[in-house]
Amino acid sequence: MALLEVKNVTKRFSGLIAVNDVSMSVEEGQIVGVIGPNGAGKTTLFNCIAGALPPSSGSILFDGQEVAGKKPYQICQAGVTRTFQVVKPFATKTVLYNTVVGAFATTQHLHEAETKAIEVLKFLDLYNKRDVVSQSLTLPERKKLELARALATEPKLLLLDEVMAGLRPQEVTEMLPIIRKINETGVTIVIVEHIMQAIMNLSEKIYVISFGKKIAEGDPHDVVSDEEVIKAYLGDEYVATQH
Amino acid sequence: MKQLLNQKPIILLISALLLGALFILPLIVTSPSLMQIIILIVLYAYFTSTWNFVGGFAGVLPLGHSAFIGIGAYTSTVLFQTFGISPWFGMIVGGLLASLVGVIIGLPTLKLRGAYFALATIAVGEGMRVLFENVKQVGPFKINGPSGISLPLMESSFWTFQFGSKATYYYIILIMLLVVLLLTYFMMNSKVGYYLAAGGEEPEAAEALGIKVSRYKLIAMAISCFLAALGGTFYAQLMLYFYPKSIMGLDLSFEIAFIALIGGRGTILGPVLGALLLRPVSELTRIYLGASLPGLHLVIFGLILIVVMRYYPKGLVEPIKKLIDRFIHKPARGKADDPSNPSARQE
Repeated sequence: MALLEVKNVTKRFSGLIAVNDVSMSVEEGQIVGVIGPNGAGKTTLFNCIAGALPPSSGSILFDGQEVAGKKPYQICQAGVTRTFQVVKPFATKTVLYNTVVGAFATTQHLHEAETKAIEVLKFLDLYNKRDVVSQSLTLPERKKLELARALATEPKLLLLDEVMAGLRPQEVTEMLPIIRKINETGVTIVIVEHIMQAIMNLSEKIYVISFGKKIAEGDPHDVVSDEEVIKAYLGDEYVATQH
Repeated sequence: MKQLLNQKPIILLISALLLGALFILPLIVTSPSLMQIIILIVLYAYFTSTWNFVGGFAGVLPLGHSAFIGIGAYTSTVLFQTFGISPWFGMIVGGLLASLVGVIIGLPTLKLRGAYFALATIAVGEGMRVLFENVKQVGPFKINGPSGISLPLMESSFWTFQFGSKATYYYIILIMLLVVLLLTYFMMNSKVGYYLAAGGEEPEAAEALGIKVSRYKLIAMAISCFLAALGGTFYAQLMLYFYPKSIMGLDLSFEIAFIALIGGRGTILGPVLGALLLRPVSELTRIYLGASLPGLHLVIFGLILIVVMRYYPKGLVEPIKKLIDRFIHKPARGKADDPSNPSARQE
């Protein structure tokens, strides 16, 4: 059974259909990518899974349990933690404080939460920044902090919303092994991204969304040569030159 | 507790000396009127510390906290007047009642952000005052509308919560303050404290990390209102006379908020520092200018607030902490330590 099973999810905003009848399934241990041009509905779909928006219809099963329409904190408690595209650190607090907040998801005691947080910070190579107030971090560091906080909740499934957005190519190359490393510890990852290089490198399976609809799914290399996908990204005239 | 005692020995020593000085203070100060001023400083530090649970940590600015202080004062007083129940029990009843009212008010309002929450609490606080001013009697309880309640003078005893000597009142409120400061410390270093701070700063991110933000804000509200009401009972027993405007008015609510903002909200010592600075200003203007310019103290507070916010937006605790750091921490400090984190964290 799949760890995450999204079935026929639709999200309407009074008249506008942002996500239209999308289904996807994620097996345990996979890294699955969701791509699509700007405004395709990736983030909306993502928000439906994370609970920030209730889907208008359809079902979302996590670990066999219906989570569609649940609140974000309930979904986190069920084992799905997300990061935000526009990072939201607790700005006046230190890196360690931020991570401890995440770690409290699994314990009642400050001491245990701190131990867990320090472990995560070491894992993500942020340990030497632990006492820095998070608003004075650089963007790549903030993105890493976002990851640290999420990881500290010990999720089974990590939802990454454009962790690469805004990073320089060099920084993207540094981020890739980190995400792979997280996956190797047994965390399943769904990653929404429009940087193709990143997602092609990471994902075992890709879903392509355009105008709210799923237009392709499968192996990354098959997907990028798919006519529909090229059309969506580059426009109709490029399809012919491919052949 | 371990963490609390894990500070540098010199800090422990200074704290112990300060505490000792506070406890022998009534032996040195013999003037009852001076003692009264000192008691009020401690009481306002107490009020502001209870306010701090919501205003300091939950990321909102309550401006109607006197409503809960009033509930405490009225509850214990009418119970004593009507049934002869000791104010000590009345205090707890008042606390629970204030907690309940606080949670009922908090349910819809704590979802509001920024100025909207502040406005809502002003409205609730003022509404409550007007209500008390217009009601003479509730069932068997006489509250006398705007003219307020005078407590019958009883002989000095623990049971009646009335004492001949100011020193006893001083010790009671001092202990109450120390307990609240300790509670604040424990809360800041617990899951509740971390979750409150997280929810106050970035509610969306907090929810994504599994925090039911509204629940933690309500917990803070309940604690804060309970403790504020205890202070209300103390005020009633100290003054033996109060009326809606004196104990439920905006003046008191604003003064508490001023003390917190100037001292440093969301810190343990901020409320104490603020009260220490502002109460004397308030008393002096009242003594010398009370007849000609009543309410002048709030104008002066406003000016101080503007200056403090301009230079130390986190309150006066900030520069003082830096000063202490320079004198105590620095010589003993390792090079690896980051100066931006002055807390004595142990790994």
